[in-house]
Amino acid sequence: MRILIVEDEPDLLAGLAQALREEGYAVDTADNGEDGLFNAEGTDYDAIVLDVMLPGLDGWEVLKRLRKTKKTPVLMLTARDQARDRVKGLDTGADDYVVKPFDLSELFARLRALIRRSANQTTSLLEIGNVSIDTAARNVFLKRKPVEITAREYALVAFLALHRGEVVTRTQLYEHLFDENDSSLSNLLDVHVSNIRKKLGAEFIVTRRGHGYCIE
Amino acid sequence: MKIFKSIKWRLQLWYGLILVLVLSGFGFTAYELEKNRQFRRLNDELHQRVVVLSAALRRQSPRGPNAVRPLSGQPPRHQNREEPPPEELLDGPFPARNSPGQMPRPPFHFSLPPEAAHLFEATDPNGYYYSIRSRDGREIAESIDLPGLLKLPRRGDAQTADPSPKPLSPPDTSPPRVQVSGNLREICELLPSGEEIRVGCSAAPELRELRRTALSLGAVGGLILLVGLAVGGWLVSRSLRPLSGISAAAVRIAAGDLSQRIPLAGTESELGQLATVLNATFARLERAFAQQRQFAADAAHELRTPVAVILTQTQTSLAREREAASYRQTVEACQRAAQRMRTLIESLLALARFDAGQEVLKRLRFDLAKTVGDCAGLVQPLADERGVKISVEVESLEIAGDPERLAQVVTNLLTNAIQYNRTEGEVRVSLKLENGVAVLAVADTGQGIAAQDLPRVFGRFYRADSSRTGAGNTGLGLAITKAIVEAHGGTIEVASAEAAGTTFTVQLPATV
Repeated sequence: MRILIVEDEPDLLAGLAQALREEGYAVDTADNGEDGLFNAEGTDYDAIVLDVMLPGLDGWEVLKRLRKTKKTPVLMLTARDQARDRVKGLDTGADDYVVKPFDLSELFARLRALIRRSANQTTSLLEIGNVSIDTAARNVFLKRKPVEITAREYALVAFLALHRGEVVTRTQLYEHLFDENDSSLSNLLDVHVSNIRKKLGAEFIVTRRGHGYCIE
Repeated sequence: MKIFKSIKWRLQLWYGLILVLVLSGFGFTAYELEKNRQFRRLNDELHQRVVVLSAALRRQSPRGPNAVRPLSGQPPRHQNREEPPPEELLDGPFPARNSPGQMPRPPFHFSLPPEAAHLFEATDPNGYYYSIRSRDGREIAESIDLPGLLKLPRRGDAQTADPSPKPLSPPDTSPPRVQVSGNLREICELLPSGEEIRVGCSAAPELRELRRTALSLGAVGGLILLVGLAVGGWLVSRSLRPLSGISAAAVRIAAGDLSQRIPLAGTESELGQLATVLNATFARLERAFAQQRQFAADAAHELRTPVAVILTQTQTSLAREREAASYRQTVEACQRAAQRMRTLIESLLALARFDAGQEVLKRLRFDLAKTVGDCAGLVQPLADERGVKISVEVESLEIAGDPERLAQVVTNLLTNAIQYNRTEGEVRVSLKLENGVAVLAVADTGQGIAAQDLPRVFGRFYRADSSRTGAGNTGLGLAITKAIVEAHGGTIEVASAEAAGTTFTVQLPATV
């Protein structure tokens, strides 16, 4: 899962980025509205965390312009908790709202819910054959037994599971699993897929040659 | 609702009271006029009968017609008549009641002349009656239906009450004496020859008539009062209607809805002017409240971000075991956030003290030029960092004030001038004495401030780019600067040309 954070307070931006990376997300950051909009328009993020008060373009303006081209789920961060601000945000096209100061656990839960909803999933537990994925606890079970899995592998499994039945291209996978600071080699993806097949069964991920991967 | 405390009902009460007074005055006057008219008419009737009787008496008197002088105003119509001699009259029918046992015999017989008979008909509703007595009190004649109840003063009583009776004075000059007892009215006429003629009647029909008049006057008055009260009530309600609008609006405002206004439709009266004034007051109140609320929201907002930093940093840091360097970074970030909160809180408190007039300023005489020089030196590193050149042009100038607070003013203005300058820009500081006023000007070569933003520059939490641009910038700097300058009795102004630069000018009273 790849997330963009647009926030102008450097310490908050750094803290959020670190926390989300440790949660297994690929994280891009921007510290002003223009850069944030540029990133958001150029990449298919799974979600965007957008601060309202930004130098240059403010959060509302970024959201308004982004909505002309993208449906990326947007979670607004705001220091204003008045109803009219929330209404304005939601009406402008925000998908959710977190008021500063917030607990990280709440922010994470809201992000997961946003991503789940945008993939048309309603619960945090995904079941595919005898494999179940708990997206809240970020655990994978094979026949009800927990499976040891790395953060990157989990991200790959979760992304494919959320897009179950769709063929996901290698480019899409790169976009969603690695942020702009990762300089991963292309065969790294094959390594991850191979490891997952060893752990969850060879048939779990199907390779569509020339197209990409798919969980059926 | 206490009905007599309400203006409407009090007005109604007074108004009704005045109406009652006026109506009863009119009614009473009308009643009195009517009563006088009726009684005067009755008196005239009585007098007319006296005249007729006295004429008849004079003719029938045994001492001849000249013995009884005609009364003044008496129409002498009977004199030319063929009159029967008094001797015959003595033998003629005697219609008057006689009481032979008690009264001495009358000196002569008197008969009511036929032309006067209709005046004393028994069928007359007024029941006129008469009584004629001789000089010595003997009865000469009386009508048959003389009311037995009449106990009026006899002949000469009025005169005997008079200490100096003037029998020689012509009685025709005196007005007929009217005596009233109950329903009865009598005129007593003393003829110069000594006979006494009394003519009376019952005023009952007139009194009945007067009662009817009084009743109808009362009814009309009551009707007018009712109509008057109704119309008055309507007028009062109509003119006081804006008051209910005013109080309703005030109640809603007191309940917290400051956007309420008094409806002004159709109120050009004094109450309308009051409503306009109140509406203006309400608008100012609402603006003040909105500003206060905005200020509180802004202050809360400014405090939220550093708290969010601390929470995010500490929660991330605590999620797992980390190296010492990582903890150090977290603690540093937290410290920065706390510093920012401290700056903000100090600024907020300073503003609150200035607002409440509780900020205690020192009053020292010092050289402002030296302070400006010190401050310029203080911000020099920041200027160097941005490649901004500071030029100082000051003349020594002594003023009385708080050196630290005024240094804060200079530093704030200089920091702003550097921060909002272009790189390689210039900041010019000048201080000179103009007409006994110390004029400090700080000019930059930055982007300038848009004309529509100029009035908000000194507002709280105003920022040139509507976002925070660093830990030191709380958005309160210029607000505090203005508060300090004004607390010193000075003024601060801003002039700006877009893309050319901004100049802040502070004027302080100098002590030369």
